[in-house]
Amino acid sequence: MPTPYERPPPGVEMTLPTRPPLARDRDGGLVAGVCAGVAAHLGVRSSAVRWTAAALTLLGGAAVPAYLFLWAVLPGRVSPGAQAAPGQSAQESERSRWLALVLLGAVGVAAGIALLVPTSSLGGSLLVPGLVIAVGAVIAWSTLDRAGRQAWLGEAVPTAPSAASGWLRTGLGAALALIGILVLVTRGQSLSGIWDSLLAAVAVLLGMAFILAPWGVRLWGDLRREQEASARASERADIAAHLHDSVLQTLALIQRQSTDPIAVTRLARAQERELRSWLYAGPEGSEASLAPAVTAAAHDVEDLHGVPIELVVTGDRPLEAHGQALVAAFREALLNAVRHGEAPVTAYVEIGPQGVEAFVRDRGTGFDLEGVPADRLGVRQSIIARMERHGGAARIRRREDGTEVELTLPALDDEGATP
Amino acid sequence: MNSPARGRPPIRVVLVDDHRMFRTGVRAELAEAGAGGLVEFVGEAADVESAVAVVRSQLPDVVLLDVHLPGGLGQGGVDVLRGCVAVETAAGVPVRFLALSVSDAAEDVIAVIRAGARGYVTKTIGARDLLVAIRRVADGDAVFSPRLAGFVLDAFGAAAGELAEVDEELDRLSAREREVMRLIARGYQYKEVAKELFISIKTVETHVSSVLRKLQLSSRHELTAWAMGRKLI
Repeated sequence: MPTPYERPPPGVEMTLPTRPPLARDRDGGLVAGVCAGVAAHLGVRSSAVRWTAAALTLLGGAAVPAYLFLWAVLPGRVSPGAQAAPGQSAQESERSRWLALVLLGAVGVAAGIALLVPTSSLGGSLLVPGLVIAVGAVIAWSTLDRAGRQAWLGEAVPTAPSAASGWLRTGLGAALALIGILVLVTRGQSLSGIWDSLLAAVAVLLGMAFILAPWGVRLWGDLRREQEASARASERADIAAHLHDSVLQTLALIQRQSTDPIAVTRLARAQERELRSWLYAGPEGSEASLAPAVTAAAHDVEDLHGVPIELVVTGDRPLEAHGQALVAAFREALLNAVRHGEAPVTAYVEIGPQGVEAFVRDRGTGFDLEGVPADRLGVRQSIIARMERHGGAARIRRREDGTEVELTLPALDDEGATP
Repeated sequence: MNSPARGRPPIRVVLVDDHRMFRTGVRAELAEAGAGGLVEFVGEAADVESAVAVVRSQLPDVVLLDVHLPGGLGQGGVDVLRGCVAVETAAGVPVRFLALSVSDAAEDVIAVIRAGARGYVTKTIGARDLLVAIRRVADGDAVFSPRLAGFVLDAFGAAAGELAEVDEELDRLSAREREVMRLIARGYQYKEVAKELFISIKTVETHVSSVLRKLQLSSRHELTAWAMGRKLI
């Protein structure tokens, strides 16, 4: 009986490149992949192993128990990539495998039919029909081992060719086993007697199938429902774990600090952001690009001051030195807005092929750049001078109901544009 | 608030949201903000079926519509919009929908806009702003939040410099529409946009409505790809 297996971690194969571990090759094999697996382990051609096994089978049948034993004991392994013989495309190997399978089946069926003829001297022995039944069972069960088990476990749906070959295997195996059973039961009878018993067997089988079908259908439905339920339960457990780690903790913190409105706002806002990014996935792009960097800066400022910032970012580009300068100046502008301005603070960053434009706007009374004391370096140094050093510009506009800081950067030159 | 609003009858509003606390909150806040004579709540609903029923019986001017609702075919606000296609008020004006949601995820926004909503605001909106938005939608204009404007700039490729040759082109924004969207994304009110661009508020409203139309009708890949995945088309 094949044991459920666990895919070996990729490192195993990398540390042992010369000799793969002994395992059944479930993709490269004809029946259960034992011969192919042994061949891969020993480093010889799989056809050599197969012919040896066939020869041993004919000379006393020693290979059959060995094969069954290995099938039962060895874990299955999906061959990594093209395990077909070199110079042979995957499709070719697939076709030759089919051919071999069909030939094997045809030989088996022919042998079985020959055994049915009562004049045959072999018909009397018990061994041969038993062997035919065993081979049939092996071929039929090999489907279960591979495609069937994958489908039952809810893994990848078997692809069309493998499903077709699965049906072929099952049909062949069932036919072989049926013939073997017939031979075993009807030894020495006439052809009409065989025909009668065949009819009787088919009738019994059909009757049993008819009676058992509802049970089978219900069993199958129950199994599917159970799988779905367990998948849902594990998803719910994931969500519950996340909510517990984040939302419930924050709610507990909020209750403890309920006298401090700023802290409550800050906690609620940070939690809202975190939950949103978990539910809807945050800004796209890697850590090393501009859009996530400005988003992170805005979140930082929100966390520091508890003032919500409505941020809109469009486009993205790699983060280089100029971009980092923009992020720093942007952060400074946001800090000014939440410190000196009034909510709502809005920020818009447009990252396009013509360059980057960032706007930070608040609704405060605004400030006059000329009126800012010379010792206050914040605006002049960290915003205006910084942007100019990096080839950009900063402009501060005083409006009737607030201040708007505008930061611009030119487009990336060519070597910077490719990350 | 502008003076023309004073003379006219109150805007009849239906509030659709599955959280009773939120419905109560919105009504209280609007009353506090002086909506007494401007807005009249004529009905409430908590799921898709009752929402469609209330809208069809009350024929309100504006429906404040939550995006996520129980019932229907599982698509919340979109199902309500589908169930109320071509419903008109007593005055023969189509019933207008303003989407209201905590979620500002692009899928949610675009789904209700393409199903026919005339605007989208998040639930964090202040009462005065909400009042302005309700009046704007009742007048048949569109309401864009900064984030929706940002999404439009992204989805139409306007942020990347793609612009329409003629205004009628559905798959790109015109230069003026792009300017208006950029200012809205920067947090400007319509009147500030008008002042900034030296145009009238009416012209700003026209531009925004035209962008809304493009958003609803365009077959740009960015707007249709996910919709096809959800079998909305």
